[in-house]
Amino acid sequence: MKSSFLQIALGIITGIGGFLEVGSLATAAQAGASYRYGLVWAIVLGTVCLIFLIEMSGRLAAVSKHTIADAVRERFGFNFAVWPRGAEIIVNLLVLGAEIGGVCLGLKVLTGIEARWFAVPVALILWFALWVGTLDIIENSTSILGLLTIAFLVAALKMHPDWLPLARGSVFPVFPPRSESGNYWFTAVSILGATISPYMFYFYSSGAVEDGWDVKDLPANRVTAVIGMSFGALMSIAVLVSSAHVFNPRNIDISRYEQIALVLTPALHKWGLPIFGISLAVCCFGAGVEIALATAYSIAQTFGWNWGEDEKPAKRARFSLTYTVMIFLSIVPILLGVDPLKQTMFSMALTAVVLPLAILPFLLLLNDEGFVGTHRNGPIGNIVVAFTIFMAAIIAIVAIPLEIIGGGS
Amino acid sequence: MPPTHATHLVADILDQQLVDTKKNKLGKVDGLVLVMREGKPPRVAYVECGAPVLGRRLGRWCERLALALNRRFGIREKPRYRIPWSKVKEIDIDMVVDVDEHPLLAWEDWLCEHVVRRIPFSK
Repeated sequence: MKSSFLQIALGIITGIGGFLEVGSLATAAQAGASYRYGLVWAIVLGTVCLIFLIEMSGRLAAVSKHTIADAVRERFGFNFAVWPRGAEIIVNLLVLGAEIGGVCLGLKVLTGIEARWFAVPVALILWFALWVGTLDIIENSTSILGLLTIAFLVAALKMHPDWLPLARGSVFPVFPPRSESGNYWFTAVSILGATISPYMFYFYSSGAVEDGWDVKDLPANRVTAVIGMSFGALMSIAVLVSSAHVFNPRNIDISRYEQIALVLTPALHKWGLPIFGISLAVCCFGAGVEIALATAYSIAQTFGWNWGEDEKPAKRARFSLTYTVMIFLSIVPILLGVDPLKQTMFSMALTAVVLPLAILPFLLLLNDEGFVGTHRNGPIGNIVVAFTIFMAAIIAIVAIPLEIIGGGS
Repeated sequence: MPPTHATHLVADILDQQLVDTKKNKLGKVDGLVLVMREGKPPRVAYVECGAPVLGRRLGRWCERLALALNRRFGIREKPRYRIPWSKVKEIDIDMVVDVDEHPLLAWEDWLCEHVVRRIPFSK
């Protein structure tokens, strides 16, 4: 039995690792620079959907002792499970590459050395952390280091945000002129893709099963989902606000990570750059850990292999080799010189495209008495999931054309 | 003990997690084999596992691919493995089967022996 402190740690690491990572940082910074507070609603909307989905992942694990990937294969069969799993592997490879790229960029900000040179050492350190670490060590160390991102909140507050327009922007879209609407919606889609990341569900539900949650843990699960994800969202909004104040008045559109690095400088002066570098590296590292593990978890669970981060690799050979291969394969684009910001934005939009496939099972599993007994979804939970699937399906249809119109401009 | 309430072969049994009596995960129930008996209802005879069994569910081409890959790279003599239904001890969260000699962890063991154990800090 874990203490509730450790459970909440799992939530906060899922929040930090899964939330404030290279994707949400880049998308929030771009949104703030181009549209001021005009896209805060996308972060808020994504977070509300995410809180519900994370809570459901934990509830399914606690009540049925099944992870999401496990339950999907069991309930819908291999012929269904193979599609979300296949899509997940491709998307996660790209996103993991983007996260490792994020760590490299953070180190570049700190040292001035070209990011590409860090790719292999960072991949090795990430792999080593998983190879020798346990889930507890990984959860707690990333949670604590992730608190550094409070720097973004401090910076945003020092910018004196305009609270009324910010509140309005959190609820209502502020449309740009027609000529920019392609890019506006592309950025909105990327924010939603960066916020509602399916790997978080796989990671969280596997962590819950590995930590042995049961029905008694449901209240802590709820608190964790709300606090962990809201903490992540708050930091994301803080990045957006800082970016809106630093870049928007100067008409700077962000096209390179080096520009985002300046977001803290006006508020934190000489500490701005190093704090940005460390925060970026830590957050992306945490996200990288989660994505590599989540992919290995879900592949192992789909095929019924032994899995678990708390056991030595020799006892989980296929599981451990899966994340090993993932990590080293994911750095190929960086080594080939693919632009990290382009890869990030592309992989976030791609995440949005595969989202309906990943969340459709929630609606059925969380209403299946065979899995969750009396702890089924209430009407609000079902409405939110149904709405998210509907929204994700529309996004999936429009993301590709928007990518062509918006991403290229 | 098999459950007393109605159990659906496809909804409840197929794709369930297989574990041995020591809780080692052996794979999933990739297929079920029924024997037809004259004048009597069909009987579930085996639980079937293996890549070609899974492949067949996706299509014949996938089964052929799995068999070809097994001929070229396989380490199991028979890529399909059948567990007699009489060996099924419990169906709950996982399906517990009482089998001692089986090739289901052949890949796990091979990779452990040839790759993982050669990497430092793996034990």
